[in-house]
Parts: sequence; C-alpha cells; structure tokens
Amino acid sequence: MSNIIKTIDVTDSLENLKEVCDIEDGRISGRIFYDQKIYEQELEKIFARCWLFVAHESQIPNTGDYVTTTMGEDEVIVIRQKDGGIKVFLNACPHRGNKVCFAESGSTRGFICNYHGWSFNVAGNLVGQHESGIYEASDFDKAKWGLKEVAQVESWKGLVFATFDPEAPTLQEYLGPMTWYLDALFDNQEGGTEFVGGCIRSTYDCNWKIAAENFVGDILHAGWTHDSAARAMLGGSVAKVSDFEESYSVNWNGHGYEFALDTVGNVAVLGESALNKYLHTIKPSVAERLGEFRANMIGAVSSCTLFPNFSFLAGQNTVRVWQPRGPNKIELFTWVVVNKSAPQEIKEKWRKGAMMTFSPTGVFEMDDGENWEYCTKTAKGRVTAAQDLYIGLGMNSRAEETSLPGNVFKGQLNEANARAYYQQWFDHLSTKRWSELPNRNFGKQEAE
Amino acid sequence: MSAQIEKQNGQQYPVSFEQHHKISCFLAYEYRLLDEERFDDWLALMHEDIHYWMPGIENRRRENLLEHGFYAADHMAYFDDGLRDLGRRVARFKQPSAWAENPATRNVHQVSNIEVYYGETDGEYVVHSVFQSVRSRGLDEQYVIHGRRRDLLVQEGGSFKIKQRLILIPNATLTCKNINTFL
Repeated sequence: MSNIIKTIDVTDSLENLKEVCDIEDGRISGRIFYDQKIYEQELEKIFARCWLFVAHESQIPNTGDYVTTTMGEDEVIVIRQKDGGIKVFLNACPHRGNKVCFAESGSTRGFICNYHGWSFNVAGNLVGQHESGIYEASDFDKAKWGLKEVAQVESWKGLVFATFDPEAPTLQEYLGPMTWYLDALFDNQEGGTEFVGGCIRSTYDCNWKIAAENFVGDILHAGWTHDSAARAMLGGSVAKVSDFEESYSVNWNGHGYEFALDTVGNVAVLGESALNKYLHTIKPSVAERLGEFRANMIGAVSSCTLFPNFSFLAGQNTVRVWQPRGPNKIELFTWVVVNKSAPQEIKEKWRKGAMMTFSPTGVFEMDDGENWEYCTKTAKGRVTAAQDLYIGLGMNSRAEETSLPGNVFKGQLNEANARAYYQQWFDHLSTKRWSELPNRNFGKQEAE
Repeated sequence: MSAQIEKQNGQQYPVSFEQHHKISCFLAYEYRLLDEERFDDWLALMHEDIHYWMPGIENRRRENLLEHGFYAADHMAYFDDGLRDLGRRVARFKQPSAWAENPATRNVHQVSNIEVYYGETDGEYVVHSVFQSVRSRGLDEQYVIHGRRRDLLVQEGGSFKIKQRLILIPNATLTCKNINTFL
C-alpha cells in the first residue's frame, strides 16, 4: 500500500493559548481570527487530523464518478471505485506535484497529468507515462508512485468524510451521539438523501471559525441579523426563539446542534407552503421511524456544525463547508440536500428556496457575510485583537436529568455549543495526537 | 460561453438601427434605476412571467459537459426567479433592518456589446449584451462582476418588459461574499 499518504510532523503547540481562548472563563479573543501562526497550527492540528466532509454519495453514483474539493488547503479527488467503495486522493501528481484533475466534477477512467503524462487509473495506480521506456531503464517501480491516498475514508448515511490521520478515531466514534440528531435531516425517510446538482462557491474575507461557530449554536443572531430577510420572505419577523417552551443545545467532540421542536420554523422562511405541507405529510412516518421527538426536528428552527467546518440547516436544507484559505479568508461551498423519495416538484422548490435564502444571493446570507467579515477584520488591530470577547451565555444551563444523548444543554439561545466548539479547537491546538486529546464529553452515548 | 448562447437561437435577424438604439437606451435606463436604488421602478420593468436566471457555473471537462455546457437548468443557481421572488428580494432591500445595506452599497452597472435580434413572436426581441457591475461598500470594499446576458424583451406600448434574462458569469467561484444587487 505504498500509495498511502505520508503523515506530517506535528509541530509544538503555541504557548499561552489560554490568553486567546479561556472557555471556563467564558472568553475568547479576536486574535484567533486573524493570526497567521494560529492558522498554520490549525492546518496541521485540525485540518490534517480531523474527519472532514468531502462529498455526498449521490454526487458520485457510478464507477469513475468524481468530485474535487479541499481538506483544509489540500486539494483532493473523491472518486467512486469499481467495488462501490470511495477513495480520496491528493490532487497532485507524485512526480512534480502538478494538479492532475482540474474539473470540479465529472466521470472518468482515470487522470493524466498535463506535465509529463503520468497516467493514473480510478484506483489511483500509476498505469503509464509519456516515454515510458526511459523509466524502465531507471529501474522505476510503478507500484510505488500512484496518487497518494488519504488515511481513512468513511460514509455515514450518504455523507462522505475523510481524514489524513491514520490515528484518528473511527467516524462513528468521532461523531458519537450526534448521529442520533443528524438522522432528523439525513435519515427521516426511506432511501435517505441526495444532493441537488451543482455546488455554489463564494469567497468571504472572514475566519473560518466565525462561520462554523454561527451554525454550531448561534440562533441568537437570527431574530436580529435576519429581521429584514424574514420580513421579506414571511411578511413579518422570525419566530421569537425565547417563546419556545422546549429547545436544546447539544454537543459532542466540538460538534453542535441547536434546535427547537416546532417542526417547520426553518422551512417556513423559504416562503413555500408546499414545503411546510410536505414536512407535515411525512411527519407521521418520521415519528414511526425515529420517534416523536426527532419528528419535531425535521424542519424546526435549528442549525448544526460538525467540527471543524461542515454545517447545515434542516428545513432550509442548505449544506456547506467553510474552506479555510488563510486566517482571514474562506471559500464557502454550498449544496442543497433533499430526500431521495421526495416528489420532483418538492425537490425543485427546495433547490430554489435554499438558494433564495442561504447562498451568495440569499436574502438571509447577505447580512451574515457582513457580520462575519467585520468580526474578522476588526482583529487586524493589534490592540483590538487582544481584547476579551464574551462567550458566556448559558454557563449553567446543563440539562441534568435528560434521556437525550450527547452533552445536553437547556435552551437554544445559549453559547454552550460555541464554547464546546472553541474548547475542542483549543484542545486540538494544545495536543499533538488523538491519544492526548482530553475527553470533555459528559453526556450519554445513546438515547434512552 | 457565447457560443452556447448563439446555439440556442438558431437563425437571427438584426433589428433596425432605430430599434437597436431604443433597446440600448432601455437597458441603460434599467441599469440606472438599479444604481439609484429605484427598485420598485426596476421591478415594474419585469414581465409578469419573468424568468430571471443566473445559473451556477461549473468547471467541467469538455467531454463531461452539462445540459448547457457549464450549467444546467436543474442545478444550483444564484438566481432562478419569477416575479414573486424578485419582489421578495426587493422587499429585503427596502427594510430599515437590512443592516448590511446601511451605509448603502454604491453601484455602477454598465452594459455594452449590445446585439438585438427579432424574436420568434411579433414584438419580442432577443438581446445579447455584456455587463460589468461594480459595487463598493464601506470605505474600501470593491467587487467587480463581469458577464454575458441574453434577454428576451417584449414591446409594451412605447417601452419594453423583460420576459427572460439569462446571466452568465465566467467564474466557477464567486470572488466576493454576495451579490447584493441585480445584474
């Protein structure tokens, strides 16, 4: 297996990280959004270690179907194998490092490097070169020079994740009990989900964590930031989250899901009554499949981030990855997810509705972008970046008696998930390998 | 990209010099409305059956092209709007709580390379053009978007309504955070 990737040397942790991220004290500082040294640590200690979302299975149904994406700033090819499995390769030729696949998606029998004609099959093996005779004369061993394959690839209900780190825990272990909640969107009907075709990419001058943290547990901003969009789409303000009788913030290993149980609060902002109706129609079957509790989540006011940079909104059905491009820049990749079994006209309404609300032209996203960019840009100031930022809402809101899995906190207007997210960030930056990572989970592994 | 636009039109008959001038002036007027934030007046130029479409551009190999080359009707799009959708976008711009529009974004929309042909139906015109949209926000933000358009205009009295607009940018990745304008 000589095509398996070489792991990188992990450098020492930065000193005094606690000055910029002290979760017990409920504070972080803007430096974590702007500092180049911190960013370099993130690339090796988070993006070269964690499980990262790379594709949805539905994007690559047949042998040779591929998409290209990035894991951190590393470019990769995600390609369906003959045996139905999926491999993920570095998108770089092992001869001089040139990119071997320039398209974002397609179907192929292999990849040929433009530089010296090195040719690779779907399995990543080197199968030929321009002027191949001269390689034989150099005792060249083809078997050693295939495309470099990432250490681990696993799927969970259509979502494909990969990690560069052979020591990373299994995906199941990494996600832990969060999968119980993810089912509310990704497994609420027989057949699961699929992505609508295409991927919209845009560029923000913001730090990747600002955006990821927004989805991990910040519904607080919605009523204020998105007032204009809500009025445009609904003719009134968004649902007042503090009025919900029951809502939660749940986290695990830095992942977080905040949600109410109002079934259609999120989907309603798409302004398409047919979609509300669809969710109400499938709800009894969801209840049968997942139970009443999760049936209430299918399109409820909610958001989720899986550490470090994969996020989605159930109801709006936008799925996204905040791709890091330096400490103060991201590329946002967005997709639309729908139930495979949904009627075509319902899928079509989601395709349009998700774009109308959460995309570069989305009436909701417009106001997010401005906030995230300036949360980042103010940290350019050396003095500003050193000041404390408050992150202490809901400090004592742990749900002591609950049958729900995960680390459960009462109420979704709560910074518990954001704290858990930054704590995980801190823990990764403070350690060199998975075995040293502290386990801060206190909740149940499974629902009771 | 232009080759694909041509293909969808078949045989084309250019309009008279005078009609070309009228339509050029209409397009310039439409863009000035946007620059002056006269969104209701702009909306009034849309036909009730308007299809305002700006598909996402996908970077595909020549042997793996989509329905229309770099884009497809059932894939993701920046805009894929009818009149109701455009109205909702305008409604957001007009809210005092559209925080990211205050201070205002300053716009300059430019249109050029205008070709006008008779459409298949009387009183309809197929108009090709190239646009440039320059936006500035705050003290130092500037975003430039270039692209091609294909419009279907319908004569109504002395003026026109826009019945179809196809907007194609060359970029597979938008180089800015949003498109808080119309193109």
